[in-house]
Amino acid sequence: MTALILQSLYSGLLSGGSYALIALGLALVFGTMKIINLAHGEMVLLSAYMAYVMENRLAVNPLLATPLALVVACLIAVVVYFLVSRISRNRELNSLILTFGIGIILTNAALIIWSADIHSTSAPGFQEPVVLGPLYSMRSELGFFVASMVLVAALWWWLSRSWYGRAVRAVSSNRDAAKLMGINPHRTEVVSFVVAGILASVAGVAIYSTGVIQPALGASLTTKAFIITVLAGIGSIPGVLVGAVLIGVVEALTVTLYSSAIQELTGMALFLLVLFVLPNGLFGAARRRG
Amino acid sequence: MIEISDLRAGYGSINILWDLSLAIPEGKLTCIIGPNGAGKTTLLRAVMGLVPVTQGRITLNGRALSGTKTWEMAQEGIVMIPEGRLIFRDMTVEENLIMGAFPKKQRKRTRANLERVYGLFPRLLERRTQVAGSLSGGESQMLAMGRGLMAEPKVILLDEPSLGLAPVIVQEIFTILGQLKAEGNTIVLVEQNTHMAVKVADQVHLMQTGRVILSQEADKVDLDQLHDLYFAR
Repeated sequence: MTALILQSLYSGLLSGGSYALIALGLALVFGTMKIINLAHGEMVLLSAYMAYVMENRLAVNPLLATPLALVVACLIAVVVYFLVSRISRNRELNSLILTFGIGIILTNAALIIWSADIHSTSAPGFQEPVVLGPLYSMRSELGFFVASMVLVAALWWWLSRSWYGRAVRAVSSNRDAAKLMGINPHRTEVVSFVVAGILASVAGVAIYSTGVIQPALGASLTTKAFIITVLAGIGSIPGVLVGAVLIGVVEALTVTLYSSAIQELTGMALFLLVLFVLPNGLFGAARRRG
Repeated sequence: MIEISDLRAGYGSINILWDLSLAIPEGKLTCIIGPNGAGKTTLLRAVMGLVPVTQGRITLNGRALSGTKTWEMAQEGIVMIPEGRLIFRDMTVEENLIMGAFPKKQRKRTRANLERVYGLFPRLLERRTQVAGSLSGGESQMLAMGRGLMAEPKVILLDEPSLGLAPVIVQEIFTILGQLKAEGNTIVLVEQNTHMAVKVADQVHLMQTGRVILSQEADKVDLDQLHDLYFAR
């Protein structure tokens, strides 16, 4: 039993890597534009399908789909940005409807093109086991977890050390003050959307390489990303990492101890519980706003 | 020299400034005083392009500023130092200061300017790795000032630097204002603390309900008369 639980914790940790990439993108866009992009999961979904197409139609390693996924995800990101920036009145609310609609369109496009079947990779080497003491994982799971962490570290560096990364944080923190500093807020909005697209494309390829995909996945990923950012208390990278791993672990434990049927439900239940007990999120208490 | 003529500006359907005209001479400290709601802050925000101008013009050395976006003003050498509430609360003190050097031509002088600001405000050096949201009111104000100075502005618009601060800190801030004036900067100071402001100013303008109702050389200002007008006694 202990071994089983230990194994679930490990699997949950590994799946938390791509969840973190997805949630960080959502949080970045929320920071600069103050909108929640409900089509965010679909950027990941289409990236995953690019990997599927590359493997099944062109018979190449799904990893090589990353550049294509990058282009597709960034394209969607720019289109969503363009449409959202056209909204002149009550943007917070209207953007929800707009991005929700874009999400539905993209999900159904995937449904038309690739049908509702589930797909997973059969590329050689991906499913080979990697054993670390008592812990077991697929080679692709471990590989993508490491890749995700490298990407998160790069994101951290960019946000804290580069002029544009810091500008993104400044706009998130105080838009008017950022303008006074000479920062063009519209440019940081585009940048945050594109960075979100980059993170989503890697997450998409990771999800295809480590699990199964189907068109409804997009919406459920958006929900997870949203839960994670709220759990974290928006705006902290370590918070998002912990939140992502937490969701991953709770899901893995649910599958191990009960059934995969209620996997999504336990994530939601955890979310409600945390909101009930800590309304500011797990890391929100220390971040008072004045 | 900044010239403002027949300026009308406000928020949406609410107009705040009514045909306001004002000349701000180069190298001088121009002080704008007036009660709450007179439109002093709105005037500064209109110059910076943060508030839409519906009528009139603003020129810098004869060139119209109306087409210039807020984020292009720092490049033009005009910086507004907002009240201390408008710092980046989620970033550290030093990161806040670094953001002040964001305009491209300033970036390579970031190091030197950081040292200058830390020289002016040693308190900020002590707090440099602290998150700005944890600073006291006085420290926040110093941070807002230091951050503005990172862009090496020629024209400084200062919004109520003494608001809600202890007298010792107000004294400290006005000493630094005097220094900046001595360096030859053009300064526009919006204040409610008339005693302190008139002492350091060259020109004093009194605003009320969106208009300038009195303009005087600072050394000719009679504080009693000013206060009579100020409180509309």
